[in-house]
Amino acid sequence: MNKPVTTRGAIVAAILAIGFSVAAQAQRGTPPRPPAAPAAPAKSGYSGPRTPDRKPDLNGIWQVMNTAHWNLEAHSATEGVPAGFSVVEGGSIPYQPQALAKRNENFKDRLTADPIRKCYMPGVPRSTYMPFPFEITQTPKHIGIAYEFAHATRTIFLDGTPHMEDLDFWMGDGRGRWEGDTLVIDTVSLGGETWFDQAGNFHSDALKVTERLTPTDANHIDYEVTIEDPKVFTRPWKMHMIVYRRIEKDLELLDYECTEHVYEKLFQQKTGKP
Amino acid sequence: MITRLIGLAAIVMVVPSLAAAQTGAAAPQTGVPAPAPAAGRGAPPPANYPPYTRPVSTYVPPRTPDGQPDISGLYLAIPLPRNIETPSVPMAARGPNRANGEFSYSLNERPKLPEGAIVRPAGVDPADGKIPLKPEAMQLRKEIIANQEKIERLDGRVLCLSPGIPRSTVPAPVVGYQIFQKPGYVVIFYEQSHLYRTIPLDGRAPLDPKIQKAMGVSRGHWEGNVLVVEVTNFTNNLENNWVIGAVSATPGIPAESLATGHGIPHSDVYRVTERYTPIDANTIHYEAVINDEKVFTQPWTLAWYGFARAPKDYVPIEYACFEGNAKNLLLMTNTDISGIRVNVP
Repeated sequence: MNKPVTTRGAIVAAILAIGFSVAAQAQRGTPPRPPAAPAAPAKSGYSGPRTPDRKPDLNGIWQVMNTAHWNLEAHSATEGVPAGFSVVEGGSIPYQPQALAKRNENFKDRLTADPIRKCYMPGVPRSTYMPFPFEITQTPKHIGIAYEFAHATRTIFLDGTPHMEDLDFWMGDGRGRWEGDTLVIDTVSLGGETWFDQAGNFHSDALKVTERLTPTDANHIDYEVTIEDPKVFTRPWKMHMIVYRRIEKDLELLDYECTEHVYEKLFQQKTGKP
Repeated sequence: MITRLIGLAAIVMVVPSLAAAQTGAAAPQTGVPAPAPAAGRGAPPPANYPPYTRPVSTYVPPRTPDGQPDISGLYLAIPLPRNIETPSVPMAARGPNRANGEFSYSLNERPKLPEGAIVRPAGVDPADGKIPLKPEAMQLRKEIIANQEKIERLDGRVLCLSPGIPRSTVPAPVVGYQIFQKPGYVVIFYEQSHLYRTIPLDGRAPLDPKIQKAMGVSRGHWEGNVLVVEVTNFTNNLENNWVIGAVSATPGIPAESLATGHGIPHSDVYRVTERYTPIDANTIHYEAVINDEKVFTQPWTLAWYGFARAPKDYVPIEYACFEGNAKNLLLMTNTDISGIRVNVP
């Protein structure tokens, strides 16, 4: 189990690193001292507020600030698309050869073939890094996530209940658990009709998504996603990004009612009115 | 991929409307007495319904860690006992009618009304139970109901548009709700079309009227154990955004009868005051007062026992309405929306 490194653990580790291994054992009971040098960005040591059940308090509005929505991999800018770094561990997605050809075809057709241009729910994990905010509501048994884009939602069950069988959902069937201060969400039953981004990166109905949300302080979540899909990829792969709390006062989610825009467009076509 | 098609429900809703429009001018149907001449506004209610009074609840819910009355949890809709509005014929004389509260559900288990609850139509005020439409709104309504074969006149819920408030609480076509509470907020997830609302309780100001939302902008506060929510800033860009719509139009009832809520788009000044009253640990009574001076001659009120706590093993299921709707609309109105693509950021 990934037990979190506690503050004391980090200090102990730092002391070990500077060569007092024996002494460190003896110092376990002494008050913690500040580490001598800045530690590497720790995945734990969460210092932010907590809920009454002592979990990191993720309630609030969050948003990713990167270009993963346009392309998970590194890319230069094109019209309407900002340039961006890869969020994929190792840089490239490990496609099987045929799947890579399919991705490249998707890329060519992306302006019409991307499922979100039909206003379908973006799926998981794409909903997280759409250029829209989302809101987390956290309770001991359920975590509700409401997304501004197409008012998609997820209810993550933390009650230990198993995944449902024989049903697919656009936003999947997510079951979560806390591993220390990390919220781990396993999502399956995502179907095969959503994409990962606007660049045609895709998956099959065998997709399994494991999200690890590790809050590092009150306003940042380290977001790591493991993608498993043996029909499309040669091996499991990871994407990694930071989720930022939107700290503007009185912020609330607004609407991107995508389906309204479909009908506005249709009715304009039918009536000829602009 | 599962996409719960709204198709069947949509057809059930549309076809009776067509029938209503088509038979509106015909002689009254056999077996159903002709509606009495319209009584004036404020006329006494039909003898079989006592006047509406807000339920007074002595139930004290437990408290959340931040001190709110705790109404959180999974709920199912309690079936509406009657149409949205008062039936146009007295209950005693009413023939058997499939819309008489017997609409279809996605669940086998149908919650029951709490002990002592009065079974009555959801429209409780004005006293005659009818939606107080202005003449021009009635004219538009007739036009909409008479043109249900045109996609631009279809019910927004059939198009999978967000139905707004209070319509999202009307129990069709799916019936599950999840109420979350977190410090300073009540959050409601509707199983229907993955709708949601975040209701801040901190007394913050309303949003700029230039910002509109399909589900409105909600501002809530607790009055004792009652959650009161003011909802404003509703979208009105499409005339398919109806204030209400019965779960189905009663076959054979003409548009003028006001026996359904079909065909009433709201204006930019539309606003709703909701009251969620916990009756006991498992039941919430719902009331919505509707205001829109451009559409109605006076405010009017819907009220019913809206929420029953779901069975312990109940799991909310994604209802992806729009994702399967292209075929549905092609079937109903011969409109192909599959080729339409929209720009997204």
